[in-house]
Amino acid sequence: MPQQKLSMALEYVVNQALTINSAHKTSKLKLTTLEQKTLALHLTELNFPLCFTCHQEKILVTGNIDSADCTITTSLKALKTIKENHALTQAIKDDLLDIEGDLKIAQAFMALAESIDIDWQSELAKHIGDIPTYKLTQLAHTISDKLMFASKQIKADASEWLVHEKRLLVTHRECQNFIDDIGKVTAQIDKLSLRIQTLEQISDKTQEEV
Amino acid sequence: MSAQEQSPSSPAQSNEPETTHFGFQTVETKEKESKVAGVFHSVAQQYDVMNDLMSFGIHRLWKRFTIDASGVRPGNKVLDLAGGTGDLTAKFSRLVGKDGKVVLADINSSMLKVGRDKLRDKGLVQNIEYVQANAQYLPFEDNSFDIVTIAFGLRNVTDKDMALRSIYRVLKPGGRLLILEFSKPEHELLNKAYDFYSFNILPKIGEIVAKDGDSYQYLAESIRMHPAQEKLKSMMEEAGFEQANYKNLTGGIVALHKGYKF
Ligand SMILES: C[S@@+](CC[C@H](N)C(=O)[O-])C[C@H]1O[C@@H](n2cnc3c(N)ncnc32)[C@H](O)[C@@H]1O
Repeated sequence: MPQQKLSMALEYVVNQALTINSAHKTSKLKLTTLEQKTLALHLTELNFPLCFTCHQEKILVTGNIDSADCTITTSLKALKTIKENHALTQAIKDDLLDIEGDLKIAQAFMALAESIDIDWQSELAKHIGDIPTYKLTQLAHTISDKLMFASKQIKADASEWLVHEKRLLVTHRECQNFIDDIGKVTAQIDKLSLRIQTLEQISDKTQEEV
Repeated sequence: MSAQEQSPSSPAQSNEPETTHFGFQTVETKEKESKVAGVFHSVAQQYDVMNDLMSFGIHRLWKRFTIDASGVRPGNKVLDLAGGTGDLTAKFSRLVGKDGKVVLADINSSMLKVGRDKLRDKGLVQNIEYVQANAQYLPFEDNSFDIVTIAFGLRNVTDKDMALRSIYRVLKPGGRLLILEFSKPEHELLNKAYDFYSFNILPKIGEIVAKDGDSYQYLAESIRMHPAQEKLKSMMEEAGFEQANYKNLTGGIVALHKGYKF
């Protein structure tokens, strides 16, 4: 259960940091705007997703990809190669990093990561014994550094990104909502047609009688 | 918070056999429920501490694994059956959000009370309902839950087949059941070590910490009497579940069974 160990440790560390930073305006604001939103982070080296859900000013870390509003797919290796002056758009075009779903949520999560002050490496090392240390170190440095960088880049590159027509894929949840909406509309239409039919029959009958 | 407390119903008419297991003892079927009730009334206050102590905290990982495998989504309606002190309920409540609902159901009022107090202290009040109910006679409408979980509860139920049928009835089509339960370790050596731990060490910890060695002796015995992985899988299939399968955790000391109603 390395996945569950890592998510338990991350959850602990992040929430500790949030408590310490609770006075920080940005983190408070972001937590409120992110209430009930989920960001999924797919790191290819880890072969399982890390999903961050905001709830009542706390972060829940799970593997529940089904509830993700936004998914960032990348690798620790790729994150390392994205240097300060290497545009995020370019990284996306080069298939080093991909974002699916609601871009605003990704931005807000990144701003949150930026606003909390975590010594990821030493914190995680305290809690995880059996994930190889090199992975830990990479994870610790790259997640915080690169998410901060990505946040700035996303803001700067948003318009350029749109010009490049990077397709933002809809998430499973958005799809599901859409299907549910269609279901409701179809049911309403069915009801309406039935009603029209009945009205037609009544009108035919009255005409016959007249 | 809606804190509905219903009495667990147990209709007089039932085709239950006359005797059943209570740990290694054979007792009258009618008697098992009250004996199990006695155990959980007695351990309720110390339950969480003992859980951490006895499993070295690993039960938290097993429960996380269950949440990760549940596919829960915002807006879902979840039944945490035999939910006791509400560990799973707490996580589900956060994940289903204000549009969803979690029902924490347990046959035992002491366990429910400890659970309710704990969840309240965590500020989880919005979307949780508490219902005192017997897994064999669930007091819910047909097709009403997206997910049902039963963690370390099924082995205490007198008629497990009946409970599985009852769960099947209340699940929505497309819904799933997750059973987290002690099971049979995959390797003989682990099995032996685990047996030694369960029968020699566990009741001692129970005696020292919870001042209740007998209850923990029962818990160890009930683990041994619980059907092993394949048997439980076929029981799920018999109750109507499809794609029933399981995943061994910690070498099979615990298994997570999952099945769907389509
Ligand atoms: C070992 S505790 C597990 C509590 C919790 N699910 C957990 O994992 O921490 C078992 C629970 O099953 C409940 N229980 C036993 N028989 C039951 C039944 N027939 N119907 C519902 N709950 C039952 C007990 O009252 C107790 O709270």
